[in-house]
Amino acid sequence: MIQVDALHKTFGRVRALNGVTFEAPDGRITGLLGPNGAGKTTCLRVLYSLLQPDQGSARIDGLDLRTQGLAAQRRIGALPDAHGLYPRLTSRENIRYFGELQGMSGSALENRIDFLLNLLDMQDIADRRTEGFSTGQVLKVAIARALVHNPHNILLDEPTNGLDVMTTRAMREVIRQLRDMGRCVLFSSHIMQEVSALCDHIVVIARGQVVASGTPEDIKAMTGKDNLEDAFVAVIGTEEGLLR
Amino acid sequence: MMRRIWVVFRKEVIDNLRDRRSQTSNILYALFGPLMMLAMIYLLGNLFNRDETQNPLVIPLQGGEHAPMLVRFLEQNNATIVRAPADPRAAVKNGDVELVLVIPKEYGEEFSEGRPARVQLVADPSRTSTMDTIERVENLLSAYQSQTAAMRLMARGISPALTRVLVVEQVDVSTEASRGLQFLNTLPYFLILSIFVGGSAVIIDATAGERERRSLEPLLINPVPRWEFVIAKMLASIPFVLAVLIITLAAMAVIFNVVPVEKMIGFRLGIDTASLIKIFILCLPMVLLASALQMIITTFARTYKEAQTYVQWLPLVPALPGIGLTFLTVKPELWIMLIPTFGQQVLINQFLRGEPVAAANVIVSSLVTLAVAGVLVAVAIRLYNRENILFRKDA
Repeated sequence: MIQVDALHKTFGRVRALNGVTFEAPDGRITGLLGPNGAGKTTCLRVLYSLLQPDQGSARIDGLDLRTQGLAAQRRIGALPDAHGLYPRLTSRENIRYFGELQGMSGSALENRIDFLLNLLDMQDIADRRTEGFSTGQVLKVAIARALVHNPHNILLDEPTNGLDVMTTRAMREVIRQLRDMGRCVLFSSHIMQEVSALCDHIVVIARGQVVASGTPEDIKAMTGKDNLEDAFVAVIGTEEGLLR
Repeated sequence: MMRRIWVVFRKEVIDNLRDRRSQTSNILYALFGPLMMLAMIYLLGNLFNRDETQNPLVIPLQGGEHAPMLVRFLEQNNATIVRAPADPRAAVKNGDVELVLVIPKEYGEEFSEGRPARVQLVADPSRTSTMDTIERVENLLSAYQSQTAAMRLMARGISPALTRVLVVEQVDVSTEASRGLQFLNTLPYFLILSIFVGGSAVIIDATAGERERRSLEPLLINPVPRWEFVIAKMLASIPFVLAVLIITLAAMAVIFNVVPVEKMIGFRLGIDTASLIKIFILCLPMVLLASALQMIITTFARTYKEAQTYVQWLPLVPALPGIGLTFLTVKPELWIMLIPTFGQQVLINQFLRGEPVAAANVIVSSLVTLAVAGVLVAVAIRLYNRENILFRKDA
C-alpha cells in the first residue's frame, strides 16, 4: 500500500509538487494521470526514495520514506522513466544483477528469473546480450528486473511508451495478473485511453496537485460529462498534453 | 554490506572485461611508454656513442692548393679530402654536403707574413645531424692552430707553455648507472600515466556511462546505500589499473634485462626485479588516489564523452613535476614527500638510480597519498548522496 500525504517539492523556481495527496491500496491498479510536466514523475521519484520531499510525507506499507528509505526500497519494484540496460550483459545477467542487489542468491534467484522469463514470454532473448534490443525487448527486461524480488508494490512510469500494440496488450495482461495476486500497482501515464483501459482507480494530477480522483464513473459524475475525455479536460482545465 | 559491494564490483569487472575495445587500447597504452623508451635508448645511444675512428671524416675542400701544409695535417689526422662542389653555399643549404672548408687565395700570403689567416667553414648548424661533423672539423683546425702557434713561438725562443694559462681537467664522478639515468627520467612519468589511464574507462563506464545509458536511476532504486556503490565502483577499476601497471613494469624489465641495451648505449641499465617490485608497491597508494579523483570528476559529466574530455586532462597534473625532474636535480626532502605523486616520482627515480631510499620518505609519501585519497573518496560519497546526482539536467 502506498500513502502520499501533502507532498511539496520545488526545483529552483519550479514548483513540481504542490501538496499531492492520494492512496494506492493493495489489489488495485491505481492510475496517475496528468499532462506532461504535471508532477507524475517527480511524485514517483519521491516514492523510489530518490528525492526527498520539501514538505509532506509518503509511506510504503507503512514505512516512512524519510526515515526508512532503504527498507521501503526493498518493498517496491519500479520501472522508472529511465530504464536503460547494460548492453554487454545478457537479459538474464541484467535481471540477476538487480536480484543480487536486492539480496537474493542461489536457486531461489535462478528460479525466480526463469519464472519471469516465462511470464513475460522472453525465453528467446534470455541469453542474448541486450545491445541492440528493440524498445519492447528492453522494456521486458526492465520489468523483469523490477519484479525480480517479488515486490509487494509496483510503480510503473509510462510503461507502454513507444510500444507496439501487441506488446502493449501483453503488458496490460501482466499488470492485471499482478493486481489479481493482491499487489499494489501504481501506474502513471499521460494517455487517457491507457489509464481508462486498465485502472480501477484514477488520480488526476495537474500543476503539482491532485485535481480529481475516483473510478472513471466517479469522475464522469463529478464533472457532469457523459464522456471520459470531456471529463478529463474539464478537471485539468486544458487539453494540452493530455491526448496523444 | 560486503556482499553487496562484491556484487557491484563483480558486475563492473565482468561488464568491462567484455569491453574489448577499451581493454585492448589499455594494453597498447601500457606498452607505449616502454617502447618509446626503447626507441629513445636506441636513437640517443646511436647519437652519443658514434665511434669517430669507425666513421671516416670527409671534408669537401675548396682552395686546398693555397694551404698544402694544412691539407697534409688534415690527411694525417684521418680526414678524407674531397673536391668541394662548385657552389659551396648552395650545396650546404640543400644538404648535399654537411660542410665545406673554403681556403681563400690570400691564405698563403697571410700565413707566411704571420698574420691571422682566414679560412671559411660553410655549414648549417641548424641541421642537428651535422653538429658532430662540424665539431670534428673545428677540433682539427684548432689543433692545427695550436701546433703551428707552438712552433712559431719555439722559433722565437719562447716556451709555448707560457701561453697556456689554464689546464682544465674534468673529473667525471658519474657512474654508468647515473649516465643511464637520462633514459630513465621518463619512466616515473610513464608509470603515473599508466595509473591514471588504466582504470579510467571503467570509472567512466560505471558513472557517466550509467547516466548516459539511463541505467543509473533504476540502479539507485535498489536498497543499497550510496557509499557502497561508490566504493564498489572505485574498487572495480583497480584490477584494471594494476594490470596496466604490471604490463608496463614487465615490459621495462624485459627491455632492461633481455634487450642488449649495453650494446646500444655502451653501458648497462641495471634495474633488477626487486627494484621493480618495490616501485610497484610504491605506486599502490597512487592507484587509489587516481580512482577517487576520477570518481569525483566523472560525477559532473552527463555523457561518456564529456567524462572522457575531463579525465584525459587529469594525468597532466601529476606529470608536470615529473617533466620538471628531467631538467632539475630534486633531492628527496620531506616537503616533497608531502605532495602526492611528486614524492613517489622522486622515490621511483631513487630506486632506479640504485640509491638507498629512506624508509621514512616512503612511509610519509604513502600515508599522505592515502590520506588525500581517503578525503577524495569521502567527497565522492557526498556527491553521490546528493539528489542531483541523477537529475542534473532537470535541476
